[in-house]
Amino acid sequence: MKLYEYQAKKVFQDAGIPVPREITVTEESAAAAAAREIGFPVIMKAQVLQGGRGKAGLVKAAHDEAAVEDIFGQFTARGVETVTVCEFVDFVKELYLSLTVDPLSGKVLIMGSSRGGVDIEALAATEPEAIFRETLDVRRQMPAFLARDLAYRLYEPAAPELAKIITRLYGVFRAKDAELAEINPLFITSRGTVVAGDAKLSIDDNASFRQETYIPGRDYYGSDAEFQAAREGIPYLQFDGDISLMCAGAGLTTAVYDLINYGGGSVANYLEFGGPNYRKARRAMELCLQNDSKVILIVTFGTIARADVMAQGVAEAIKELKPDRPVVVCIRGTNEEEAEKILRDAGLDPLYDTEEAVARAIELSRGGKK
Amino acid sequence: MSVFLDRHTRVLIQGITGSEGSFWTRHMIDMGTRVVCGVTPGKEGQKVENVPVYHSVRRALADHPADAAMLFVPPRFTLDAVLEALDGGIKKIVTVAEGIPLHEALIIRSAAREAGALVIGGNTSGVISPGQAMMGFFPYWIERVYKPGRIGIMTRSGSLTNEVTAMVVREGFGVSTLIGIGGDPVPGTRFAEMLPFFQEDPDTDAVVIIGELGGTMEEEVAREIAQGRFTKTLVAFIGGRTAPEGKKMGHAGAIATGTSGTAAGKAAALEAAGALTADRPSRVGPLLKSLLEGVSR
Repeated sequence: MKLYEYQAKKVFQDAGIPVPREITVTEESAAAAAAREIGFPVIMKAQVLQGGRGKAGLVKAAHDEAAVEDIFGQFTARGVETVTVCEFVDFVKELYLSLTVDPLSGKVLIMGSSRGGVDIEALAATEPEAIFRETLDVRRQMPAFLARDLAYRLYEPAAPELAKIITRLYGVFRAKDAELAEINPLFITSRGTVVAGDAKLSIDDNASFRQETYIPGRDYYGSDAEFQAAREGIPYLQFDGDISLMCAGAGLTTAVYDLINYGGGSVANYLEFGGPNYRKARRAMELCLQNDSKVILIVTFGTIARADVMAQGVAEAIKELKPDRPVVVCIRGTNEEEAEKILRDAGLDPLYDTEEAVARAIELSRGGKK
Repeated sequence: MSVFLDRHTRVLIQGITGSEGSFWTRHMIDMGTRVVCGVTPGKEGQKVENVPVYHSVRRALADHPADAAMLFVPPRFTLDAVLEALDGGIKKIVTVAEGIPLHEALIIRSAAREAGALVIGGNTSGVISPGQAMMGFFPYWIERVYKPGRIGIMTRSGSLTNEVTAMVVREGFGVSTLIGIGGDPVPGTRFAEMLPFFQEDPDTDAVVIIGELGGTMEEEVAREIAQGRFTKTLVAFIGGRTAPEGKKMGHAGAIATGTSGTAAGKAAALEAAGALTADRPSRVGPLLKSLLEGVSR
């Protein structure tokens, strides 16, 4: 669960991390009013969940009201719904600070650099030693000595203030069940104070039962179908090829995706209806039919999800939706003999070899015989 | 012999009275697993499939020493159940829970390592030594997948495991032990940490790894081979070679960013270390066959 910058900033601010003065708006008139209240120049930031906003032209300075309206219009034309109008921070230095997990050590991974800003990824690639890494057992509090040591490594003149921010960010990370808590840039202002120029916070979906829920907006997804599927808990990715995948299991679906590409076919959509979704065949097929695909390919090899239940779901979906394109089925696992009967009764020709099914789907997608 | 679990392993089941727990307890016993006791708080005195149930692990172990704990416990209670098994001195723990909170997965891994224990999972089907014993839920009755033999298998996936293992069996092989490492970003035990057990097992000739994009577990395996700590034949299938960068495809643990964690990078690391990689499931069996020619199985 990724939070928008303005949501993450609020969480950081509540934890005592200084953030610039900013007002979040959704209308042009409110943007102008916000800018007047904050005072020019202001920085306007599009609230989208993708990284690299600066380079994408989604963070811009405005020196007067006309510019505010112009930039607001540019953002909304690109599908942006929410914009923050921020105080201009006169900074002398940009630092980088992030908390995430290190699966190998099983600890929290703290990364920092005295050279933060928009080029941090390039820095990580070319000068990894410019970014320090420290791990901390998640069962521990942030030790004061460690916060101090990291603070000195970030920027000595502001170390006492930075140590507080490090400790507070770790507090946010733990309290919010975060996968990632990041400040980049962490500004040192011309007055020597420290302020979080940006805020990234991603909360573990598995902890949603004890955390406030943040739902990403339509802008986070590349298509309406992806947005809709995400709301229904169906893993779905939109592509623009010819074969709609309707498979069970993350690993198997990914393998089938590869096989189609190897075979010279093209994928219209990636969709998983396994696990908790294995009774959602009808909805899954509906999503597939929204595409301009030429064929639907169903591949499963269930562990708990029974083949006959999935076959029944597919048969019912075909009866109700009457797909206008061929459906290739390869459904295996527990009770696959009964599954075969169900699929034959539904007028399908079930296959049992994944690669054979992929080959047939590719052939059909090229207009081959049904 | 086998790895992690065989027909002599005494298994305690936490969460034995739940619908999932009792259902799979029956299958575990049917397959030959030596289930000695079960635990569900508040249910002491009951029996499930003739297995005695206790309020706590301590109380169960007082009557029935156990070597391994199988957890059929919901994800949000899994950390506590793991800590309870560790408190009882159990060194082998399998958790199938899907949805363990990330920070708790970190604690599980740390606590297990401190106790010198292995936690397998979560988000896995578990561990099975076909023909001997099972901890978890596998459709062991599907003979073209779960056939006893001399190939060790480790996997991050469920359905794909059936797919790939069927291809291994099709070439005339069978499985010594299959370990579901699981699809979570922070599994309790990693591929490379199980390699020494397969290396030592006289009944395992080769190991198949079913990996995917994301994380560094396959690269860690490559390092073990390169440094000479694992010397048996190893064949890997890695899903997601054609996955577009940055898209969340596969399990929660699977996302490639830049060059790190890509399926191609993993395959290259394994090949450089001397392992073979199969670009499609059907290649795994033939590759094994070509490498093990002349080795009895």
